[in-house]
Amino acid sequence: MNKKIRRLTELALLTAAALIIFVVELQIPNPFPIAGVKLGLANIITVYSVYRYKWSESALMLLARILLGTLFSANPSAIFYSLAGGIFCLAGMLLLKNIIPISRLWLCSVFGAVLHNLGQLTAASFIMKTSAVWLYFPPLVLCGCIAGALTGLAAQLILKRTEKYK
Amino acid sequence: MKKGLILAYIAAGLLFLSGAAGTYMLLKPKEANAVQILRDDEILYTIDLNNEDSRFIRIDYGDSYNVVEIKDGRIRVKEADCKDNICVRTGWLSSSAPIVCLPNHLVIKFASASGEIDAVAR
Repeated sequence: MNKKIRRLTELALLTAAALIIFVVELQIPNPFPIAGVKLGLANIITVYSVYRYKWSESALMLLARILLGTLFSANPSAIFYSLAGGIFCLAGMLLLKNIIPISRLWLCSVFGAVLHNLGQLTAASFIMKTSAVWLYFPPLVLCGCIAGALTGLAAQLILKRTEKYK
Repeated sequence: MKKGLILAYIAAGLLFLSGAAGTYMLLKPKEANAVQILRDDEILYTIDLNNEDSRFIRIDYGDSYNVVEIKDGRIRVKEADCKDNICVRTGWLSSSAPIVCLPNHLVIKFASASGEIDAVAR
């Protein structure tokens, strides 16, 4: 029982941390005139959870963060983009976890970020009913690679430092 | 190193390079005159920038709007009431990259559907 409560507390704490990171990042203006370009700092928690927890626990944390994050972002229509991106990203990283060892976690995060952007564009092309948005795929892939590597490296640092509390 | 991991490295490298190449191609300046303004894949306006007087077009979408400006053979979104204003910040239409306003479902692009393919072939 004690173990269960500890686990629940850990997950809740991480979800709260992800939510805070997400809300703080909302305040950073996007320097590029392309929707969807961002660091995706909350992904640090997602990729960390992929390697540390069960897939169902990672999925629940991500879902809670997206739903609560939408409340804070004052932009309810963005939830479709967030959900599509989140599902693509998480599913991809959960699969790649079997190929990419934890010591190369940043690489997994790169694919997660690119898949996130792929999911968002898929949602956009459905909502806008036009394929014109796919023209923005190359810059989103490029930014996804860079942002994914950075957030992945951050997650790797956290893993290193929390190793001793495990 | 495992085979799968090596493949993953190669795939990531290819993604990065193709993303960079595609971005370069997309942002290359493009001269064209026929412009389409679309909403949900329905053509609202077809404009020939060569034969168009400088003017503003207000396009409403529910309670929100975009103001499109045509001036000296160029086109841009001058004003919009959305939060991110990404369409305004995109500036004048000057490449294959369309001006997109996600909240108001608006797309402004050069008309030739195969434009971006032509640009690569040349």
